[in-house]
Amino acid sequence: MFVRTLFEWLNETSMSVALRESIYGYPISLTSHVVSMCLIAGLLVMMDLRLTGLGNLKTSVSDIQNRLFPWQMIGLAMAVISGGALFFAQPMRFYVNFWFWIKMLLMLLALVNAMWFHNTIYQSVAQWDTDARPPKAARLAGLFGLLLWSGVIVTGRMIAYSGLVPQWWKDLNLDGMG
Amino acid sequence: MVLQFYEWMEGSALAVFFQSGVWYSPLIQVCHLVAVAVFCGALIVVDLRLLGVGLIKTPLKQVANDAQPWLVGGLIALAITGTPTLASTSIKQYYSPFWWWKMEMLAIGIIFLFTYRQKIVRTDENQLGPIRPKVVALVSMGLFLGVTIGARLIGLS
Repeated sequence: MFVRTLFEWLNETSMSVALRESIYGYPISLTSHVVSMCLIAGLLVMMDLRLTGLGNLKTSVSDIQNRLFPWQMIGLAMAVISGGALFFAQPMRFYVNFWFWIKMLLMLLALVNAMWFHNTIYQSVAQWDTDARPPKAARLAGLFGLLLWSGVIVTGRMIAYSGLVPQWWKDLNLDGMG
Repeated sequence: MVLQFYEWMEGSALAVFFQSGVWYSPLIQVCHLVAVAVFCGALIVVDLRLLGVGLIKTPLKQVANDAQPWLVGGLIALAITGTPTLASTSIKQYYSPFWWWKMEMLAIGIIFLFTYRQKIVRTDENQLGPIRPKVVALVSMGLFLGVTIGARLIGLS
């Protein structure tokens, strides 16, 4: 209930209304979001391929991690700003959207996966930095990263298909349309 | 002649199949986007290296060789997953200026990627000088940025 109240309040703010009524706000935000997705997801895929032992094997794991990280963060910053603008323009559209919430959940899980990797197996990276086949835990983290980020892309696109959702979600009747 | 071809595509068995189920079109579109991520990753990692940032400890030729299977694989996946979307909405695409913009940029981008850029990434780095690799990277990223923007705007036209 609190979340709905928050989203409704956001929906009525003058900035949200201005974004919603802007002719160019939506196409610019959406296009920027796709471009930022190419940067962040593309480089995360390259990093996770190295972790799984499937690609970029001639570069050490720590080098890929350290040198691609700043560019991933630039992509993430762009994605947060453009995604924030998209969300802020139509909070209630996203509140009732099944795929939006699944996307948020997958992003959270991707963050947990990255933190787990950095705080566990990556601590001993010096021992396997140049191995073509990293330890099992690192390969698993890479595989989860690939699956979770693919899921983020998939559910992000599916937001446009708000009617293609499970029946139990429709039964929640969040939009009050019966 | 071109319009007739687009009309034929929209009536083809492939188009009819993808229009027949509500899930077919979204499923193929999400596969297309995952292929975009793979292709862009393989493209950007080499372009950053050409700019003198990113994986600078690894020789340019090595970074490019490692990325090549994912670049080619991503491009093949893009073609496979893009064809049903094109077929099932071909008349809309035909009348969208952004579709033609995307295709022109894509054609120039692919030619550039597999000719001049390919030649540059296979050349000894010491012979390239400081400017040429950076120009190649900016042209490459600029062309595919154009493809991405055009692709996204088709849906909004």
